[in-house]
Amino acid sequence: MAGRGKLIAVIGDEDTCTGFLLGGIGELNKNRKPNFLVVEKDTSVTEIEETFKSFLARNDIGIVLINQFIAEMIRHAIDGHVQSIPAVLEIPSKEHPYDASKDSILRRAKGMFSAEDFR
Amino acid sequence: MGGSEVQDTRANMDEELLRFMDLLELLEKKRETLNSLIEQGWFSITKARYSMGNKHVSALQYASEMVPLVCVHTKALENGEVQFFTERHIQKSSAESSDDLLPVEDIGPQEEGLRRRNKTKKDTPEKKDTEVAKTAKGPEVNPVRKIDQNPQQDPLKWFGILVPQPLKQAQSSFKQVIELSAEIAALQSAVLRTRQKLRLSLAKELNSEKSLGKSAKEKCPTSDLTVSEQKECIQQNKIVV
Repeated sequence: MAGRGKLIAVIGDEDTCTGFLLGGIGELNKNRKPNFLVVEKDTSVTEIEETFKSFLARNDIGIVLINQFIAEMIRHAIDGHVQSIPAVLEIPSKEHPYDASKDSILRRAKGMFSAEDFR
Repeated sequence: MGGSEVQDTRANMDEELLRFMDLLELLEKKRETLNSLIEQGWFSITKARYSMGNKHVSALQYASEMVPLVCVHTKALENGEVQFFTERHIQKSSAESSDDLLPVEDIGPQEEGLRRRNKTKKDTPEKKDTEVAKTAKGPEVNPVRKIDQNPQQDPLKWFGILVPQPLKQAQSSFKQVIELSAEIAALQSAVLRTRQKLRLSLAKELNSEKSLGKSAKEKCPTSDLTVSEQKECIQQNKIVV
């Protein structure tokens, strides 16, 4: 697919967002909504979920990066997303290391076979 | 279904299964690298915050306007997988147009005994400006860049002109993280697609065994498949359920 590239969105704590914005993914102007959300202690789950859904609805976002502990808050929304684009990547946070057993993608791949299949 | 077709299906399934396992292993390795790079980046940000101060490395420093310097291109393959490629835009060079320049008046103590220059024919306006720049310590007019208002600037400059080395290291780490994120997104897409193909092949295999008289329910319940997967399998095998 040629043409203008897609953005990388991030939903994370302050340090995560600062790091990725330092990497150069941030977009913020008067006309469009930002492609990042800094989640703080007082950020509501509703706001996180609405932002996540808005990122999915936008056709100019290719990848959504989200801290895993935030992903746990909106797990139902992430599990409901089955399209390939945008891709959702769960990343660790400073206080919550990455847990593969909680990752939506790996959980879908986990229940592949039962013992009966190999008889 | 003939015996050769069954053999082909099983051979394909074996290949897909091996590919699935390889993809999972690669995904795990890339994940580990990604996580360690992210942690390295946080550590560098923390070190920079320690030297610059808490309030100087925070969301308060974000620019009011930002232009993305890296984007991701997606490409859908024939087998249903999606590939992701990152592209980093080259920032503007240091040479700027005059539109970007703002005159800034620099007011300072005047030099005592300011020379009185004789206006001769030889003195050109350019030469005078040069002399002013070299000798006078009086009010000067120096053109400077509109750094704060350039949305395509290096994000490092949000935190000041001279930033500590840890902050540059953090930027470097997160740039690598962004590259890896695209690879992991592609791997995830490949894993899910391979899984779907495997389940379809398995259902096809079991239905073929059922048609040969063996009970599929004894082997693997098809209720595990989604409705769309069941329909696709029935269409492929033309089996009346």
